[in-house]
Amino acid sequence: MDDLLADFIAETREMLEASGGELVAWEADPADRARLDAIFRFVHTVKGNCGFFDFPRLANLSHAAEDALADCRAGRRDPDRHLVTGVLAIIDRIAQMIDAIEAGEPFPEGGDEALIAALDVSHETPTGEGLEGVERGSDGGQGAAEPALGPASDDPAATIVPNGRRADPAAAQRTIRLPVELLDRVMSGVSDMVLARNDLAHRLRQAGTQPTIDGPFERLTTILSDVRDAITRMRMQRIETLFGALPRLVRDLSAELGKQVMVDLDGGDVELDREMIETIRDPLTHIIRNAIDHGIESPSARLAQGKREIGLLAIAARQSGNTISIVISDDGRGLDEERILAKGVATGLVGAAERAGLTRDKILNLIFEPGFSTAETVSNVSGRGVGLDVVRQNLEKVGGSIKVGSVPGEGTTFTLQIPLTLSIIAGLTVDAGGQRFAIPQSYVEEIVQASSRALDFTRMGETALVTFRGVRVPCLMLGEVLGLADGTGREPTLVMLRLASGDLFALAVEGIHNHGDLVVKPLAPAVMKSGLYAGSTLLDDGTPVLLLDVANIAAQHHLVSDARARVIGAIEETADEAAEAAERAMLFTDFAGRRSAVRLELVQRIETAPVTAIDRSAARPRVVIDGMILPLIGLPDTPLTQHRVRLLRLSDGACEVLQAVREVEDAVELTHPLAPVPEDPLVEAITLIGGKPATLIDAHELFARYGEPPVAAARPRCVLPAGEWARAILAPLVTAAGYDILSEGDPAAAEPGAIGILFEDVYEVAEALGRPLPARVIRLRDQPEAPAGSPTIYRYDREGLLAALAEAAAAAAAPRNAYAAGEAA
Amino acid sequence: MTGDLLVVAQIAGRRCALSALDVKSVIEIGTVTPIPRAPAWIAGITALRSQALTVIDCRHAIGLAASATGADWPTDHRAIVVAEGGHAYALRVDGIEDITTAAGEAGQVPGGFGPEWSRIAIGMIETMAGPALLVDLAALLTGPESAAREIEAAA
Repeated sequence: MDDLLADFIAETREMLEASGGELVAWEADPADRARLDAIFRFVHTVKGNCGFFDFPRLANLSHAAEDALADCRAGRRDPDRHLVTGVLAIIDRIAQMIDAIEAGEPFPEGGDEALIAALDVSHETPTGEGLEGVERGSDGGQGAAEPALGPASDDPAATIVPNGRRADPAAAQRTIRLPVELLDRVMSGVSDMVLARNDLAHRLRQAGTQPTIDGPFERLTTILSDVRDAITRMRMQRIETLFGALPRLVRDLSAELGKQVMVDLDGGDVELDREMIETIRDPLTHIIRNAIDHGIESPSARLAQGKREIGLLAIAARQSGNTISIVISDDGRGLDEERILAKGVATGLVGAAERAGLTRDKILNLIFEPGFSTAETVSNVSGRGVGLDVVRQNLEKVGGSIKVGSVPGEGTTFTLQIPLTLSIIAGLTVDAGGQRFAIPQSYVEEIVQASSRALDFTRMGETALVTFRGVRVPCLMLGEVLGLADGTGREPTLVMLRLASGDLFALAVEGIHNHGDLVVKPLAPAVMKSGLYAGSTLLDDGTPVLLLDVANIAAQHHLVSDARARVIGAIEETADEAAEAAERAMLFTDFAGRRSAVRLELVQRIETAPVTAIDRSAARPRVVIDGMILPLIGLPDTPLTQHRVRLLRLSDGACEVLQAVREVEDAVELTHPLAPVPEDPLVEAITLIGGKPATLIDAHELFARYGEPPVAAARPRCVLPAGEWARAILAPLVTAAGYDILSEGDPAAAEPGAIGILFEDVYEVAEALGRPLPARVIRLRDQPEAPAGSPTIYRYDREGLLAALAEAAAAAAAPRNAYAAGEAA
Repeated sequence: MTGDLLVVAQIAGRRCALSALDVKSVIEIGTVTPIPRAPAWIAGITALRSQALTVIDCRHAIGLAASATGADWPTDHRAIVVAEGGHAYALRVDGIEDITTAAGEAGQVPGGFGPEWSRIAIGMIETMAGPALLVDLAALLTGPESAAREIEAAA
């Protein structure tokens, strides 16, 4: 019974949370049928569940709301504002009762009748007297003060702008509730399993190849990595669950304070660890409260300043690398520097002597100091004894941070940075002082071998500088940063790191190991205090490795902020000189055997693509890289003999072209004069590189001719016949040819682009019966010899099959490209 | 307190007791990865299955450097795993003796235990295996720096 009750409470809570946004949206547009249905479902479910338990009051309330909503659904009644307010009041009462039931406290008697009566006011009565009690909150302080606003003040106090997709509740996935602790146990079990697998892999390697074991072991590996992915996703939750409750919160607050606020939510699909969502719930609520209470002015004050009377509160979530930033901005009055400063002096946070020297930034940040609160009178809404100092503390506890920016009269922006702890990040492991450390991949711009001359390593006092692409960049020795002795004395490898602020610096390490996904776990607070580490992770062999806190290390060495502006100024001058001194190019040999070069600025990456990713059926060859279809040039006319092709990925910022090369030589400096070649538009010049001639490719002409914005390659799809043979033997071949496999009966199979492979006998039957067939069909026959005039392919005719697939893919791709081009225009 | 289970261990040559409720397990300690620039009382991190443990050198955490007291004690190859504030730690001690039952309440002794020991001690406790110093885990895990700061502040 207790379990049932707990489930009932949890389920009702969850529905309340989910319907918070629906309610406000419904209020904004009472005629919205979908919202009405969602809310009806909620009260209906509550009513139904009450039947199991003895909660007559809950049952009565939900029954009354259900009746009123049923009338609306049946068209017997118009959902007007009074009805909405009445239903909202009932839902609030339900929430309070649920709280009381959970706490095991008796709920104060009475009051239900007034709420139920409020619903009964028929729509003919324009202003129901019975509503006074219910509506007092939303009219207090506003009605009398602003009669001039006229009909506008009748509008609901808050409106919601739905941004992005809203999940249709009817289509919601089936879910079950599980204790987080159980998830954690499963997760650590899977992690242990991965370690055990790695151990086993190690032993298997020692024992040599054993085909009978290697097969199943490979399968185990695949399954394990799938399970691990799924488990990781189990802990993640869309931030939408947090955002869902905000419109309601804003509506209630703005009603209470006599303000008009519009919420704009963005980035609800960002995923975050479940526990992290709980951690930021209170800070977020607190900042929103502050914004509405202190930030956004009353409608009359806004009109007087020439602003829209409805204030805007925008909340956006973004994921960048291994941090999530949540930005809460309002267009209110902004922070008052003078008042903050005066308050700071009054509360003793700032000495009277210091005040002149404080920058605006410093002053604004005073609001996060303990014991600071600007509200003159402690209001019901935001002055609850907890201040922004608690918000900051809570965020810092989980390794996050908070920043504030504000323009007087224009608004305030709070930026919350929170880490994705417990999440998996891509990382690079490096050596320093004989020990291994991990660096989040998101910071890594490039890895450079210091042995190459171009780096020009210099020491300026205690600071080391390297020259990277003509720019002098500060360089930190990881060994020195960590206080470790340089173990090897080898030439260091440089990892170029780009911070979120845009600052670039080099980190010299003794060696690079490998990169891969790292499960980051938090470190003990005493270790975190050193400011060098962001967490720990376990390598495949189970050794723990520390994850470096790149941003903090850079900050400790003053590579960010004010100091940076000065240094960068100086660097940019030398950069210009350096750029003039030597232009750089990538030297390569193409398939015609010519020594060619292309300016280094154009080269984005060196790619290696399998021959199967290249499509030569159209007039111009194309290649699929990372799911993008890109134009390809420089292929030989003869078929390719090797399995993989090296490609230079060239980009002008918008368009991309891939240049196929036989061999990439090196990045070189163009020191010799360039001799123009007017007769070939594709060649900018001929120059000497290393004493031998090389042609420099004319980028302008190249992009004019071949440049195309990348088109996402939805892989063509192929429907396979049922059966073991198709699944085990045909499917790998088709997949390798670049197709996604669909099973028969998959709804996507009906799409026009899908290709079907059918056995001849099945095809004949289907045709005879007039069954729907895919637009393009490849027919297979069982006998090697083709009956005369039959457009079928023998099922083991590999070349024939691949050719047919390639042809079909090209035909399917053509209309899609045309469509994409049309859209771009 | 009476009847509670205690894990008894030697730290810096003294008999200490930890509440068995705080102790998750006792492990054979493997390779410890040192943490550069971390306080001296943090020996490093080690892996217990898929979990990373922060290894605490209890003598340093109390504030007793081996050289200062003039004696060098052997270290047990086993460590006591405890959890505090959501993090798991492995405590390195001289030796792990026994699990025993408390025979009374923790009490103070006249004159105290000395400044380092007093910081990390809840009090003296009588056990079935004789008297032991009951360790305040949270105080132990804040390290000796906090004590130094308090002394500075007082001065």
